[in-house]
Amino acid sequence: MKESILAVRKAIDELDIDGISKLVSRCLEEGLSPEEVIQEGVSKGLEIVGGKFEAGEYFLADLIMAGEVVKEAMPILKEKMNPGESNSRGKVILATVAGDIHEIGKNIVGMILSANGYEVIDLGVDVPAEKIMDTAKTTGARFIGLSALLTTMVGSIKEVVESSKAAGLRNKLRIVIGGACTSKDLCKEMGADAYGETAIDALRIFNGFTAST
Amino acid sequence: MHAIERVLNALEGKPTDRVPTFCAMVEDRTFNEVLGKPLISQETLLKNPVSRFFLDRWGTRLTKLVFQPEVNRALEKRIRAQVELGFDAVWAFLDETFVVLDSKTMARFTGSIFNLQPDGFGNMTYMYRGPGIKSREDFESWPYWPDADDVAHSSYKFFKRMVKKYGDRSCIIGEASAYGIQETILWALGFEKMPIWIRREKDLIKRFIERNEELCLKTNMALIDAGVRVIIQCDDFSFKSGPIMNPKLIDELFGPSYKRIIKAVHDRGAKYVLHSCGDNTLLFDTFISWGVDGLHAYEMTSNVDIFKEKKIHGDKVTIIGGVGVDYLLTDRSKDEEVVEEVRKLIKELGPGGRFIISPVHSLSSIPAHKLKVMVDAAKRYGSYPISIS
Repeated sequence: MKESILAVRKAIDELDIDGISKLVSRCLEEGLSPEEVIQEGVSKGLEIVGGKFEAGEYFLADLIMAGEVVKEAMPILKEKMNPGESNSRGKVILATVAGDIHEIGKNIVGMILSANGYEVIDLGVDVPAEKIMDTAKTTGARFIGLSALLTTMVGSIKEVVESSKAAGLRNKLRIVIGGACTSKDLCKEMGADAYGETAIDALRIFNGFTAST
Repeated sequence: MHAIERVLNALEGKPTDRVPTFCAMVEDRTFNEVLGKPLISQETLLKNPVSRFFLDRWGTRLTKLVFQPEVNRALEKRIRAQVELGFDAVWAFLDETFVVLDSKTMARFTGSIFNLQPDGFGNMTYMYRGPGIKSREDFESWPYWPDADDVAHSSYKFFKRMVKKYGDRSCIIGEASAYGIQETILWALGFEKMPIWIRREKDLIKRFIERNEELCLKTNMALIDAGVRVIIQCDDFSFKSGPIMNPKLIDELFGPSYKRIIKAVHDRGAKYVLHSCGDNTLLFDTFISWGVDGLHAYEMTSNVDIFKEKKIHGDKVTIIGGVGVDYLLTDRSKDEEVVEEVRKLIKELGPGGRFIISPVHSLSSIPAHKLKVMVDAAKRYGSYPISIS
């Protein structure tokens, strides 16, 4: 492994937002392909950060910082990719359910998914089930992440599930829930496909779906 | 034993006649059920075209004239309802650091933007929308920074009145217009950007912390001057998955301010309680090192093990909480389930003292009846020595 790509990995691990751009540019100058830098530098760096988060060594703010570090790197890499070439791992629709406007958790998930190569379609907060289904139809996205904080709004999750059935998409869509008031039991009760407690959980779940499709 | 003595003793680790009860702040649905609904609901009042017309055009001017007095009346109702429900300690809150920008938006003086929206029960509530400060320029030119002396002065007047009216029946645990230091900054700068601000704008973060510390200090001192014996402040340091930031960084950034604030409260003979949401398990040692007397920071749905905490820290800090708001204090539960949980909590957490039973959090949907069931059960089973089989 080239030293320059290891430096990218280390910069992400150490959350070095001020140094990452220079390191990524150096990789490209040395003739490494953008795909290789993403695969071996950026993704591996994020894996290390995710591992540290799960081990309790890093915290939410560190996860976000890692996402920001990657945000600095990606435009430089994308500019050098061949036109039309995509490294997308899939489209994910994210939304805070109808009646709820809390979005910090959803935004963290979005940041981590984007940094890991997913195309995130963030519909924002207080999103009705119909809008989520319309977006799934028009974009062809097959993954949906729903966020809910308010106990009083958990019924909105069920509405999305029911609405996907009514649209004839239930078998094609994977619906993942997360947020303060959600749990494995609630996931089962609402008829969703998976529950993620943290942003890293969400990434693992979507990676699992990607691998199985 | 009088309610105030019971609560203060519990916060000092001294014996009490029974486990005291504390009410997490009640919202509109709850106090309307206790005190009676207004003739015209807030939602009707604020969503009609005439109100919208005026608020959309002159919201900022109408805030102090019309909106603030109405909010203050509602805040007093919260206190009155808690007292009438029979709690030993009530969470009394004054919120005077906001301005209505239009019929759907309000700004906090400390830099954050909130939505004004219905709570699902005919009342209006507010929910965080996002940061108001997105750049250094925004910080320098933010037009609403509060004058800490003015806020302290009006806090004094409000609490002097509240202590006179309700202070002989319950222990007023007061909070006035100053939210927790960290949470205020997080709201103002936005969670997603805060780590970058902390790394790149250290001097600005320091100034922001100092500004908030001054507001907290002055309002807390005003409350104590007004006769409040226990101060509470909300600062949500954690999410469901654990602390927002590295606990060491939290201590480094905010610890010195909290230590000064709590010392000033103690110097004046009052007690200090910190409220924090989320999984605070990794932060309890830090909070205790700051000098808090009590913690309302045990969200079981966020994996905090209140029973384990009693064993680890139960002799160092008073544990406040226990009764869940995700199921027990909702319309879905049965009265006997609430009673059973109260019995269990008192049996496990009551022995040795330093336990005040309370809802783990406030929530707009808590039925007053369930709070009454909780209080009555605590009074029935909470007498010392605890003898629950």
